Amino acid sequence: MRALYTAATGMMAQETNVQVISNNIANLRTTGYKRQRAQFQDLLYETLRRAGAVTAAAGQQVPAALEIGAGVKTVSTARAMSQGPISVTDREYDIAIRGEGFLRVVLPDGTTAYTRDGSLNLDAQGQIVTSDGYLIDPAISVPDTAVKVTISPNGSVQALLQGEVAAQEIGQIQLSTFVNKSGLSSLGDNLFAETSASGPPLTGNPNEENRGNLQQYYLEEANVNAVTEISNLISAQRAYEMNSKVVTAADQMSSTTSQMFRG
Amino acid sequence: MENALLVGLSRQITLQRNLEVIANNVANMNTTGFKARTVNFEEFISPTARADTLPSTNRRVSYVADQGTDLDLSNGAVEQTGNPLDIALRENVLLGVETQSGFRYTRNGSLSLNETGTLVTSDGERVLVGGGPIQLNPGKTGVHFSPDGTIETDDGPIGRLELYEVTDPSQLTNLGANTYGSRTQLPEANSPRIVPGALERSNVQPIIEMSRLIEVNRAYSSLASMQQRLDETRRSAVERLATVQ
Repeated sequence: MRALYTAATGMMAQETNVQVISNNIANLRTTGYKRQRAQFQDLLYETLRRAGAVTAAAGQQVPAALEIGAGVKTVSTARAMSQGPISVTDREYDIAIRGEGFLRVVLPDGTTAYTRDGSLNLDAQGQIVTSDGYLIDPAISVPDTAVKVTISPNGSVQALLQGEVAAQEIGQIQLSTFVNKSGLSSLGDNLFAETSASGPPLTGNPNEENRGNLQQYYLEEANVNAVTEISNLISAQRAYEMNSKVVTAADQMSSTTSQMFRG
Repeated sequence: MENALLVGLSRQITLQRNLEVIANNVANMNTTGFKARTVNFEEFISPTARADTLPSTNRRVSYVADQGTDLDLSNGAVEQTGNPLDIALRENVLLGVETQSGFRYTRNGSLSLNETGTLVTSDGERVLVGGGPIQLNPGKTGVHFSPDGTIETDDGPIGRLELYEVTDPSQLTNLGANTYGSRTQLPEANSPRIVPGALERSNVQPIIEMSRLIEVNRAYSSLASMQQRLDETRRSAVERLATVQ
């Protein structure tokens, strides 16, 4: 009974699907989270009767092939890198990226990671860090006499120092873009890493090319749409159930066969 | 009597294959662009097995054979994904891709750019645009498709997807991984229609598959009980004949 194994591949695929959907729903309120979608493909086919085979001496051909598929497989959990909604937070170091770019983050081991999560903070030395305490690249130090910090859409960071009238520039935030953003690997903690599939990062100032601009006092929310996820969850669960019905039917047919003759 | 057993057996074998086809359809219920197959049965009249002593209408013994699995090319539901490089193909249109094993057709419109900026399918196979793969400059912005299959950027159109029209679905063979081969070269679609920013779900109809499943299961067990009865008849015949002095 091949149908048993075929239905089992279907159940496994739906299980993965539910796992991906539940992760999306769990991250509904995660800043800069990008939703994933499980992609499926059919498996190989066994051709029992080939279309076009000659059936008689006069040259008649089989019009349609007899092909039986072996089930389904999960091929990818691609991320939809679309823009998430932007919500106001009124925090000085919160920035939302409107466009394609990613913030550059220096990990403790010295490698660079990329993120869309712009909830930045200051560390004990006055340097701008992510909410995990990782430095952003290029590093920016805010003097301790700063009264107000302004981050402009093109990434320049200006500080108004105590007792001064004009703000002075203290640094520049840069963004990176990728040819294939969906090819980035997920490191968790809202971070992504470059892979050979994503292509090398193209780094520069915001507002140039297609990097997008920065919006101070705002954060980008997850691009998860709750209604879509819930309806996908329903359809995945039903598909799982139906696959299990096929397993039951195959089992019943096997049992009918084994009980056909009892001596 | 032997004939009745064999006729029943021929049906049971086709029912098992029918179950396998249903299982594959149900397993691929959420596969992007998957097209369901249905089994086609035919009457197979045995050229040698005859019952000439029976009344003329009953003489020929006819078996059943599965003659083919028909591809149902009807449209699947369209799901909006918001990804500008996703396309849902409509009607009998297939997309041409270049794979390692040569030219293939696919209904899977989940496209993306790879590390070099080449337009590829979710398997990394290169999508054909005007005779060859297309590579986009990393700086290009606003890449999207128009409903007739033209690729556009903010600087204007840069090419058109190779879309083919299926006139006879029986020409197509499934090659796995959402791809098809065709026995004859398909003609280019005259006025193709695609839905950008969406994906086509499979066209498997769960209710139909579930009813077929019940039907197959019941037919199988009723054949089994028929064969059991035939076997009992034969056994009692043998016993009675043996007791005759």
